[in-house]
Amino acid sequence: MKRTVLACLAAGAALAIVALPAAAQDPKAELAKLKPRDFPTQPIEYVVVYPAGGGMDVTARLLAKHVEKWSGDKVIVNNRTGGAGMVGHSYLATQAKPDGYTVGILASLVWGDAMLRAQARWSLNDLEPIGYLNSDALTWVGRADGPYKGMTLQQIVQAGKDKPGTIRIATVPGSMWDYLIEQVEAASGAKFLRVPFQGGGAGITALVGGNVDVAQGFYSEFRGHLASGSVAPLAVASSGRMDFLKDMPTFNEALGGNEYLWQVIRFAVVPRGTPADRKAYLGAQVQTAMKDPELTEEYKKQGVYFDPKLAGSANVANDLQTYVEAERQFYVKTGRLK
Amino acid sequence: MDALGGLLTGFSVILTPENLYLCLLGSVIGTLVGVLPGVGPLAALALLLPVTFTLTPVGGMVMLASIFYGAMYGGSTTSILLNIPGEAASVVTCIDGHQMARQGRAGAALGIAALGSFIAGTLGVIVMTFFAPLIAAAAIRFGPPENFGLMVLGLVCTLFMITGSTLKGVLMIALGFLSAAVGIDVVNGQERFTFGSINLSGGIELLAVVIGLFGVAEVLANVEKMLQSTLLTERIRNLWPTLADWRAAWRPMLRGSGLGFVLGLVPGGGPVTASFMSYALEKRIADRPDRFGKGAIEGVAGPESANNAAVAGSIIPVLSLGIPGNPVTALLLGALIIHGVQPGPLFMTQRPDLFWGIVASMYIGNVFLLLLNLPLVGLWAQLLRIPYRVLFPVVLLLSVVGTYSANKNVFDLWVMLGFGVAGYVLRKLEYDLAPFVIAFVLAPLLEQSLRQSLVMSPDGAMILLQRPVTALLLACSAILVVLMFTRQSRTEGGSR
Repeated sequence: MKRTVLACLAAGAALAIVALPAAAQDPKAELAKLKPRDFPTQPIEYVVVYPAGGGMDVTARLLAKHVEKWSGDKVIVNNRTGGAGMVGHSYLATQAKPDGYTVGILASLVWGDAMLRAQARWSLNDLEPIGYLNSDALTWVGRADGPYKGMTLQQIVQAGKDKPGTIRIATVPGSMWDYLIEQVEAASGAKFLRVPFQGGGAGITALVGGNVDVAQGFYSEFRGHLASGSVAPLAVASSGRMDFLKDMPTFNEALGGNEYLWQVIRFAVVPRGTPADRKAYLGAQVQTAMKDPELTEEYKKQGVYFDPKLAGSANVANDLQTYVEAERQFYVKTGRLK
Repeated sequence: MDALGGLLTGFSVILTPENLYLCLLGSVIGTLVGVLPGVGPLAALALLLPVTFTLTPVGGMVMLASIFYGAMYGGSTTSILLNIPGEAASVVTCIDGHQMARQGRAGAALGIAALGSFIAGTLGVIVMTFFAPLIAAAAIRFGPPENFGLMVLGLVCTLFMITGSTLKGVLMIALGFLSAAVGIDVVNGQERFTFGSINLSGGIELLAVVIGLFGVAEVLANVEKMLQSTLLTERIRNLWPTLADWRAAWRPMLRGSGLGFVLGLVPGGGPVTASFMSYALEKRIADRPDRFGKGAIEGVAGPESANNAAVAGSIIPVLSLGIPGNPVTALLLGALIIHGVQPGPLFMTQRPDLFWGIVASMYIGNVFLLLLNLPLVGLWAQLLRIPYRVLFPVVLLLSVVGTYSANKNVFDLWVMLGFGVAGYVLRKLEYDLAPFVIAFVLAPLLEQSLRQSLVMSPDGAMILLQRPVTALLLACSAILVVLMFTRQSRTEGGSR
């Protein structure tokens, strides 16, 4: 099963990559060369599974703007929402026509949906990655005042060990926000009091309001409060330090380990069965747009980062698979997946 | 920068032909979106978001914001004339507004709704001008226990909305709670009552419920009466509110403004909750509550003011903290982010042109909307002359479009249809639908805030009494309940 996933994803992506020459002189002309004769004759739909205005929606709309600029094709962003993304994921995997007119702009949260919630109605095989966009890593932030003021991550974890269940931490139930706490608790023996919220942003708000002691969120969610001095970053769950916050350690550095990697990876997919030439062209569109510094600058302004393992990857489906595997192993280890 | 200096900056930014034009355009679109049943501000904003990419950040935000509050002006129109809410925040306006129309006073109801919207909208912006940072600082301290207190108070208020049989009313509230429980549990992430359906895993869509219960059900109910060819055959008298109307309406307008503004600030609150609570409040404190449901002008003036004030209230946390409290303000935030602007606590000082430009545009937009809506009263009243056979297919079409545009999920159309039929049957059996909707809106917030409070509390339920604001809100709720029972037993004793 695992191997078929790999093979499928790899084969699909290979097609997308072949098309991209290493040194393109004129991206527009290079892209035009790949354009299938009969495609597209109507606008291409970028499906976003979260509501308009959110982080994922902004990512897709900025991409659409630049894909239009480079390809001259018309792109429409469509929000198919519901079930915390599940409705849109299922739509892409089981209902969307694989004719090249549907592209999913997804976050890696789709992996958890596929492995834990899809109930064999669909799997990751049904979605073929065609391009990497950007990443956001989960960060723990503390308060700039109060009893835990000025503490490092180690000190807070120690405090959680000394007085179990007293440090209030904001979480989003049944997702990576929960999983990261779980890992820290399992490795250190500390115990936190988890206060559930519907998203990272709501948790940050509760932190600033003094209703929790630690919150978890993305840089874009807390940087405003960081600038005004009301929150203090503790550690980030990525493989390397963030450019924006060079002083903040990673979880792996602070706690010693290699398993603390929780990030949202954003990428584009097409439904399985999309004709190879169209898939290659759609992939090339995304990758041409991603080479445009104007787009990457706009993404950076939003506070995201580019994973060096994935940015400009020669085989994005294959490289994403490493992350899928790590997540699968966590689910297996914690008894969530057999 | 002090408030007046800031406001001057704002007006200097906004008083350009282009920005004024965008503000006017947004006002017109907003009014239209409000008037059309089914299509609400969220759908319109999502649709027009890409258009604003080509505009300046100020221009884009001015247009989107004016669509949002413009919709609150237009929303009452079809509520009053057709008994079909133009959007969710105008559901309660149907109750008394439509009765007024049936009594030939459609013009007065429309006029009061427009004036109330203007007064509340303008008061909201004035408060925003002078106190935005202070209010934002207070709003962010509002945690789960405080939210719980507010939601309990809201729930008690819904009891006052019940007309007719108390038992039937309480049953509808219970059903509202039950329907809201469908979906993913907020605390442990487990699915409840979804029966394995992916479409139910996110819960039932509010928009589909409201459009079904009020739009579709109303059409079904009227199809029975197809014999008469138009809604009102008699001439529409009194196009304008009289002095007596005005005297009865100004206090509800001010109360609605205050209540709406506060509820707009609360996460999860906004125009919908505000309009319901205002209606309940007006009914509670009225000298003769029995007039409600029979064309009481207070029942139009209060909620229509409250939903406009709630818009101003809900824009404050977005602009001064970067925190959206409802889907529409989340979209406004997204629009700013796409323009490379990240609102947060420092937004006011770092981008005074944008912050004050938006504030200033809201003064101007409200004037535009008043000037636009008052002359339109006469025109809208002509809607009543459209024969049913033309009007109702259009309403159904708009309902389908509006429901689908929210999530682009066909399942929501079935929900809309199901609730439409249910609403029709329930109305025949004389069940009130308004308590159902408000319970459906409040339940998730109530549950989440209670469970969050209990989780974060070291002393269990004591946290609800330890937090002064929560304790105060709960005490108010208790007093209201006691008052209701004493009044009830007194009236029962009197009749015996």
